Amino acid sequence: MQGIVGVFRTLDSTVEAIHALRKLRAGDMTVYSPAPRHELEHALDHGPSVVRRFTLIGGLLGASFGYWIPIWISDYWPLVVGGKAVPSWIPYTIISFELMVLIGSLATVAGLFANARFPRITMTVGYDPRFSDGDFGVWVECPPERQRDVADTMRKLGAEVRSES
Amino acid sequence: MATVAEPSADLGLGPNIASANRQLPAVASYEQVNDDIIGTLRPTKAWFAGLSVAILCLLIGAAAWMWQIYMGLGVAGYTPPVMWGVYIVTFVFWVGIGHAGTLISAILYLFRAGFRTTIYRCAEAMTVFAVMTAGLFPILHLGRPWKFFYLIPYPNWRLIWPQFKSPLVWDVFAILTYLTVSTTFLYIGLIPDLAAMRDRETHPVRKRLYSVLSLGWRNSDREWRHFARAYLFLAAFSTPLVLSVHSVVSFDFAMSLVPGWHATLFAPYFVAGAIFSGIGMVFTIIIPLRRWFGLKHYVTINHLDAAAKLCLFTSLVVGTAYLTEFFIGWYGGSEVEHSFWYTRVFGQWWWAAWIMLICNCVLPLTLFSQKLRRHTTWLFILSIFINLGMWFERFVIFEPSLSHEFEPWQWTAYAPTYIDWAILLGSFGWFSMWFLLFIKNLPVVAIAEVKEIVPPRLTTTHPPFGVPEPSPDRVDVEGMHPEYLPETPGERD
Repeated sequence: MQGIVGVFRTLDSTVEAIHALRKLRAGDMTVYSPAPRHELEHALDHGPSVVRRFTLIGGLLGASFGYWIPIWISDYWPLVVGGKAVPSWIPYTIISFELMVLIGSLATVAGLFANARFPRITMTVGYDPRFSDGDFGVWVECPPERQRDVADTMRKLGAEVRSES
Repeated sequence: MATVAEPSADLGLGPNIASANRQLPAVASYEQVNDDIIGTLRPTKAWFAGLSVAILCLLIGAAAWMWQIYMGLGVAGYTPPVMWGVYIVTFVFWVGIGHAGTLISAILYLFRAGFRTTIYRCAEAMTVFAVMTAGLFPILHLGRPWKFFYLIPYPNWRLIWPQFKSPLVWDVFAILTYLTVSTTFLYIGLIPDLAAMRDRETHPVRKRLYSVLSLGWRNSDREWRHFARAYLFLAAFSTPLVLSVHSVVSFDFAMSLVPGWHATLFAPYFVAGAIFSGIGMVFTIIIPLRRWFGLKHYVTINHLDAAAKLCLFTSLVVGTAYLTEFFIGWYGGSEVEHSFWYTRVFGQWWWAAWIMLICNCVLPLTLFSQKLRRHTTWLFILSIFINLGMWFERFVIFEPSLSHEFEPWQWTAYAPTYIDWAILLGSFGWFSMWFLLFIKNLPVVAIAEVKEIVPPRLTTTHPPFGVPEPSPDRVDVEGMHPEYLPETPGERD
């Protein structure tokens, strides 16, 4: 993996760099920011996160499991209370709800990890510790013959630029 | 991608405090946020002293527990039929304390309440440690605590089969789910902050530790995009969970036929009480912290004012629940309930009931005064009374009911023993120990979320996309409203 990383001091120059680099069709781009910003979100124009699907599937599985386990246990070892039905769905809804929340939440975290691609063992290339402090960054993965154009574009907008591989 | 909503351009209606539309005017840059918040992590002598006191209290509680195991549960002051004493009172008290954290971090997040940003991390940590503390009490209440796993409802061959129609089984599921989800929510929110600490750390061991804990977080657009969505869903799951957990705890009592317990009011009554007590504990913690850590320009008077309004609202809900409960006892036509109600309010237990009423209903009425809502010393004193009042609320719910059931020959007295008090003290020591360890090892204010409400550095002078121009008739153009200066006139502490 090789490319150019630019460190920007300001948000608006980062947004302008994103627009310019997208116009240049320079290559895959990763944008770093100390905090999530709507301005960057609008400039990058990504689609909605797919984490929601993990949440939905996890929640449904949890709710189903939450009904299944007490029904199965009640049926396996019947304890009749007050002459009522052995599998009783109203109290089991509480178990189902709790397991929906539990498994849905854990599935959401799993979706976050899978889609955001972490835990990350190494920091790889294209990262600078200043991105968690106050600076913004743009990493463009591109072949050596495109690096000059990318670097020039970033420098024009005030970035500190370096090549990494 | 951002976790906070885009600012609205509609500033037509605003609060009556001129500066309230500006979140943190005295915080100028992202770097300052890192400097100020990570700077609080240096241990001090006062912190070591506090930690020592907390551990001492914990040891006193542990010694009392050992004595109880040796002598048997009789030393804990149980007098049949009062077989649930201070332990159940304290269990419900700590579960209740744990509710405000998720309320502030999740529910207020969904409602986009800006004042939560700087206080929610403390409240979340408080939640996790409070539920950890509550989780000790079912074990403390066992004669043979090494058999605690008998309590866990799973199919087994010990002829103890889980009865899923029992509220006690629901309680196990609810509390364990709450503990897991709250801890997950806290940890996920901490990941970007741990990365910021990792990037600043120079000590190799600590740097390695923060690297592992931050899971290789890099602040990339991909990470923020999925993080924001995952955080939203976790908040959405946590919100009904907050309401369900204390409802389920209330079912432990409401599903029985004991006078004073068998009421449909119990679920909302417990939830409102839990939120009220949790906010009280947030004040008890956050007011000294903002002073000792020099974070008055983060946890501002406006934030405390807003939280005090929430406290006042929940106090009114709790007060209404008390009056409803008393009215049903007086007017309901059941001789048993009427007799019980009279005993609780005017008879044997009058002193506990009136401590509860004064601390939870009368004193919080002072928060109708804006001057007192913005007076940190008063807020702190009031929070102590709320903690006291909410502990007594649970005492008033449980002990009078058990000591005054249907048959007069069963009526009895109950008084906690020194073992009960020592274990109560130990629970505060356990909670304080974890909290003190937390505040010096992890950021007490959410760094990344605070950065979201701090204006970013710009090349041009105009605001970035989506950020409205400050309204000159509401805030000063310099962004330094006098209320935020160190000697702020609105703050007397």
